[in-house]
Amino acid sequence: MIRIAAVGDLHAGPDSVGTIRPRFEGVTDRADLLLLAGDLTRRGTAEEGRIVAAELQGLDLPVIAVLGNHDHHSGEEATIRRSLEDAGVQVLEREGVVLEFDGATLGIAGTKGFGGGFAGASASAFGEREMKAFIGHTEELAAGLEAALAGLRADIRIALTHYAPVDATLAGERLEIFPFLGSYLLAEAIDRAGADLAIHGHAHRGTEKGVTAGGVTVRNVAETVIGHAYKVYRVGDRSADDVVGEATGRSSTSTTPSRP
Amino acid sequence: MSGVSGQQSEYLVAHIQDALATDARTGELELDVRIAGGRVFLAGAVATTERRDAVERVVREVCPDYEVVNQLSVTERQQPGPSEPVS
Ligand SMILES: [Fe+2]
Ligand SMILES: [Fe+2]
Repeated sequence: MIRIAAVGDLHAGPDSVGTIRPRFEGVTDRADLLLLAGDLTRRGTAEEGRIVAAELQGLDLPVIAVLGNHDHHSGEEATIRRSLEDAGVQVLEREGVVLEFDGATLGIAGTKGFGGGFAGASASAFGEREMKAFIGHTEELAAGLEAALAGLRADIRIALTHYAPVDATLAGERLEIFPFLGSYLLAEAIDRAGADLAIHGHAHRGTEKGVTAGGVTVRNVAETVIGHAYKVYRVGDRSADDVVGEATGRSSTSTTPSRP
Repeated sequence: MSGVSGQQSEYLVAHIQDALATDARTGELELDVRIAGGRVFLAGAVATTERRDAVERVVREVCPDYEVVNQLSVTERQQPGPSEPVS
């Protein structure tokens, strides 16, 4: 059993100094790792990156993050990434990492992701070059996520994005802005590569719980949605027998359970 | 506010939201802005009390003639409850 703490949309600014760290007091007792689902800063400045990095530095558990759209606003995302990495936070962009906990391996593949909408009401890479660039960005990140997920050699695999892979976790948002909140291309990538859990943020007024078409559990952990400092999800509870017993009718998981 | 048609106030909502997104003091994209009865209503959650005040300040600058009703909340961050089994 591995316990995953997750939260998104910290949106740190100069007024956040000293306020983020206390929220993670005791996180090491509750969880084995911490996932941050993007929008770590408010306006994406290097200064805000240093502020959030200082707040997270020295937490005694692995901290894995993706960046969000706010972290890109000032064009200083590379500096923000460096500040986070200097503070011991691993930042994923179409990359994966495998961690080991008591002999069980947990892989995380992450990307910021992007928008475009959801099946039945989605944009295509058609027409103006600006439209092609918009959807092209989503396609590129979704393909990178799929490759990173598929490349994970781990008992349990998690997809970490900022933008939403499904519309179920957007319930509460205005329908008109769904295409700016996520893309089905992310879910399709996750279903194709297989995963045990997908975590995202970005949809501040959405809903916590959803599932992909392929049956992967999705959780929106934007802090305004969860109303907590973070949520803790448990994976790898089930024994091998349980999973074999349930395997029929499940379409997406290719991982094998780690626990005897 | 007299003399403002529904159409103009609709544009104003968009201008306010644009200012809240791009102003260096706010950077807020997901707030609810409505104009009703000649007043501007602000709702949604922000990260800090400083930001709740900053949002109101920016809105007052965009539409100085309007009364602003600040119903913004600061995000709650309780310590987490029991973990949820997901796989
Ligand atoms: Fe956000
Ligand atoms: Fe975002």
